[in-house]
Amino acid sequence: MAASILRALQVMQAVAFVTFKEWAAYRSHMLATLFVGPVFFLVQLSIWNAVFDTQGTIGGMDLAGMIAYYGIVTVINYAVFDFADWNFQMLIRTGKFLTFLLRPLSHRYFALSQKVGHRTLGFALEFIPVYLIFWLIFGIKLIPASVAWTALSLILSFLMVFLINYCVGMTAFWLTNTGGVRSIFLIMRDLCAGVFVPLTFFPEWVQHIMFYLPFQFMTYVPVRVFLGDYELAGHTMTIPQIVGLQAIAVIAMWAISELIWRLGIKRFTGVGA
Amino acid sequence: MTGSVQAFLAVMKTVVASRLAYRGDVFFSLFVTLLGEAILPMITLLIYKSGASFPGWSLEEAMLVQAVFMLAKGIAYPFFYGMVYNTLDRVREGSFDVLLLKPRSALFMTLVTGFSIDGLGRLVGGAALFIFALSGLPMPSAAEWLGFLLLMCLSACVLFASALFMSGMLFRWVGSSRVYEMNDAATSFGRYPLSIYSKPLQFVLSSVVPVAMISYFPAATLLGRSTPGLYGAAAASVIFLAAGLLFWHYMLRTYTSAGG
Repeated sequence: MAASILRALQVMQAVAFVTFKEWAAYRSHMLATLFVGPVFFLVQLSIWNAVFDTQGTIGGMDLAGMIAYYGIVTVINYAVFDFADWNFQMLIRTGKFLTFLLRPLSHRYFALSQKVGHRTLGFALEFIPVYLIFWLIFGIKLIPASVAWTALSLILSFLMVFLINYCVGMTAFWLTNTGGVRSIFLIMRDLCAGVFVPLTFFPEWVQHIMFYLPFQFMTYVPVRVFLGDYELAGHTMTIPQIVGLQAIAVIAMWAISELIWRLGIKRFTGVGA
Repeated sequence: MTGSVQAFLAVMKTVVASRLAYRGDVFFSLFVTLLGEAILPMITLLIYKSGASFPGWSLEEAMLVQAVFMLAKGIAYPFFYGMVYNTLDRVREGSFDVLLLKPRSALFMTLVTGFSIDGLGRLVGGAALFIFALSGLPMPSAAEWLGFLLLMCLSACVLFASALFMSGMLFRWVGSSRVYEMNDAATSFGRYPLSIYSKPLQFVLSSVVPVAMISYFPAATLLGRSTPGLYGAAAASVIFLAAGLLFWHYMLRTYTSAGG
């Protein structure tokens, strides 16, 4: 058991390292974030400064809370960013997926390891510099209420984003070209995850729906854990409770991805196979 | 001139015909664009429903600024922004050289062959939001409409200039699709009334990088609001376009073929 875990970790380290080196060749591509992230944040800062001039609290949040929310959303997204969906559908569409079936390694694990490598580079080139820009230029110190719970919630969010995107990518088993589905899904996903606006902004009945969807565990939950409290659709939970729920949701999502894989792989016909 | 227009029309006709061979995909793309563009007005609506607002702006007025922004981008995407994809793909593949051999200017060829009907959802969404916003506002006078149309021409100039900057960068920054994100970030200031920004930022957005000309000044003119800084912004828009043209041609000179 211990030997197989060690072996799995070695595989992950090897794949992640190769991915890291591969993407490091395109570091200027990633460094564009240093312009994009702070500029978008400056727009948000201006909007909410103006809006909170007319009212003290909106959607249960005050100005400081709202600015912290958007700051945390921005940096968290650099930590958990993922394009497993695009990658998977590309492999299916081009027929390259066939080679993965011949390897003695689950493709899902391989893709997760790639994400670890990609995000390790992202952490160095995006997360840390943008965090420092927020601190040193905007004067916003993003200090988590509890470092340990936030780190755990971030790891779970990292896995949740990957599993959800991977499931979307697997729709390529049925659709081959998933461009349209992905586009709609990405918009709805970000909306339901609280990327555009805190979920407490939505009407009560919408919040109830979002509470039972897995998307809140991608962004909204880690942000609230970072802030130190959780509330949605009238449900308040302690941090250990919501992180526990997030862990259950990740396991459920893993089971769903396994089910989709088993159904989908039966339909796969590789180019030239 | 007539020849250029004819060439443009011929390419447009071909692009429309080839895209309509996949009608389902075209309508799907239109729907997706529409959905994506609906997010911001929805957030604005949520803000106003909660009782807050952009100071000094009613919901309909704020929506009008956003509608004009969508309309402007709805024009820019088919006519200007296609040249960015075009440059990105052709420089990466090494096929940009083919455009240099054509008996027209390289800029004209890049612009024309980049024409795309994808993204027309913005125009449709912008028009729908424009009508919705105007329906809750007093009807503008003929002079206000005329002013609006003139400023929309300057809005198109600013967006064309931004396309030139993006396209020009891609001669050296080969294959980087992130120029779109950078442009989206820079122009996102234009989605809101100028008055919500700090004074120094207002100056930058109207007189240095005239993002405010994309939607704020045309919308404010249509609403009959006073628009201090309009003339400075108009001059800045023309200068911005000239700078874009100079930059694009300078970057073209630095283009080194892939040898394809």
